Amino acid sequence: MIKNEKVIENRVLDPGAGIFKLVLRGQTAKTARPGQFVHLKVSSTMDPFLRRPISIAGINRQLGEITLFYRVVGRGTSELTRVKENQTLNLIGPLGNGFTVPRQGKLLLLAGGIGIFPLFSLIEALDTSKVKVKLLWGAENRQFLEAAGLKTLLEKNLDYEVSTLDGSMGHKGLITDLLEYYLQAFNNPSEKESSILAWSAAACGPKAMLQAVTTICRQEGLPIEVSLEERMACGVGACLGCVCTVREASGSLVRKRVCKDGPVFDGGEVVWDEES
Amino acid sequence: MKKVDLTTQLAGVKLKNPVITSSGTYGFGEEYAPFYDPALLGGITVKGITPLPRLGNPVPRIAETPSGMLNSVGLENPGLEEFLRTYLPRLEKIGTAVIVNISGFSLEDYALMASSLPENSCISALEVNISCPNIQHGGMAFGTDPRSAEEVIKVTRKHTRLPLIAKLSPNVTDIVEIAKAVSGGGADIISLINTLLGMRIDLKTRKPVLANTMGGLSGPAVLPVALRMVYQVYKAVDLPIIGMGGISNWQDAVEFMLAGASAVSIGTANFVDPLAPLEIVNGLEEYCRREGYDSIQELVGLAHS
Repeated sequence: MIKNEKVIENRVLDPGAGIFKLVLRGQTAKTARPGQFVHLKVSSTMDPFLRRPISIAGINRQLGEITLFYRVVGRGTSELTRVKENQTLNLIGPLGNGFTVPRQGKLLLLAGGIGIFPLFSLIEALDTSKVKVKLLWGAENRQFLEAAGLKTLLEKNLDYEVSTLDGSMGHKGLITDLLEYYLQAFNNPSEKESSILAWSAAACGPKAMLQAVTTICRQEGLPIEVSLEERMACGVGACLGCVCTVREASGSLVRKRVCKDGPVFDGGEVVWDEES
Repeated sequence: MKKVDLTTQLAGVKLKNPVITSSGTYGFGEEYAPFYDPALLGGITVKGITPLPRLGNPVPRIAETPSGMLNSVGLENPGLEEFLRTYLPRLEKIGTAVIVNISGFSLEDYALMASSLPENSCISALEVNISCPNIQHGGMAFGTDPRSAEEVIKVTRKHTRLPLIAKLSPNVTDIVEIAKAVSGGGADIISLINTLLGMRIDLKTRKPVLANTMGGLSGPAVLPVALRMVYQVYKAVDLPIIGMGGISNWQDAVEFMLAGASAVSIGTANFVDPLAPLEIVNGLEEYCRREGYDSIQELVGLAHS
């Protein structure tokens, strides 16, 4: 569970967007599943103090390597940029439950910004000869999309649409616009093949986006899994720092730990606005 | 090689070594079991229990600070009944001393908890939490006034024969006054410190980082404050002390024992290094061997002479 893994690669993909790729070789790759995360010790000192949870974006069991992408947003991630190749990095993981990997049917992937990263590991695990995949990805601009791995999607020949806030690529606006548009298209009786019933969704992104896409999917009767993010301390379910609220079948509200019971939850169960 | 005696006697509580884990950082003893066998520790302290289940505070509950962190979990717990039904039976198999941390909002709450927790079970002691900074009433309010601190311990004492540990808040002017009060109330052991009340503000939102505005500071940042308080209480009160507050390694643990702690408790360090408690057990043993002490208890209070 806790181990040192060798840093194979840690390099910037786009200095403007501050996106880095980190490849680690060790035991984690043996058992990791799409949607799980690792809890990284980014500094050998006590400052910054806490570990940083980073989702797993790629799993290569043959090479024993996991790929992580991260965006530099604060002290922890900027500390992480200093880690050199051939050094070791201390991590706890793989942690969390991960996404359901469907063996057949149709999967709608919904990504907001860097929420694409855990979805990469899900895409990688899908047998696209049996599962029809469509990705909708919303981000701030073209530069971000290119920095965060658009090329990878092209190489995989994945069916995708993007939206950008500034209109520099794809639809100008929010991912919810794209989602509503496509759900209507699925509902169109002339497109019998893509009947909405066969679809399910998996999403990762900011909380407000997850809430919005969950609402839309639920209206259309589409089951949706969401990967949540929360400030974490322990990462293993001991500290109760990173909880979310879930409404159980009985109607009662319970706390779930994002690190241990999640980070992936049934979007329909998550109580988004509960504040007590 | 001569074997160092690590056993530790705290009032009626016998520990195989002086290293235990702190309430709220170790769940109910299951989360860290994949890392090592908790039976290797002197004891564990489970998450604070209240009579009724609590959802706790909204998120964000965590904020990082220089060499530490703030939390405002707010005593989220499954409640007494669920603890007795689900968690206590599982704890029976843990193979080390189990300390149950109890919290309440009234004297009646503490009385109920004390009378409901079985004396003939794996429970070695009750830790009476009069120091939680994250709830509106009760908690720290009991622990910052000597008279109510004494009262809570007295009432709890009446309802159980289990050894009582009074967990003190550092958010007071004079820790010795509180320590004397809980001693007068019938506490068998004193544990200190709970977290220090603190806060952080987000520059982007210009609002407090924690949803609950304030939270408890823990981690290496609080160590000197905790150590000072252990030192003061050892000098003034004749009860065994469980020292805690920012202990991250065996060196820190030795300092606490020299200051007067008979046992040490590891909290926030678990989050960063899950193996820390185990490494501290080994480090303490090695220190004693190297320095020529046959028993770990010989270290207790040496800084005072």
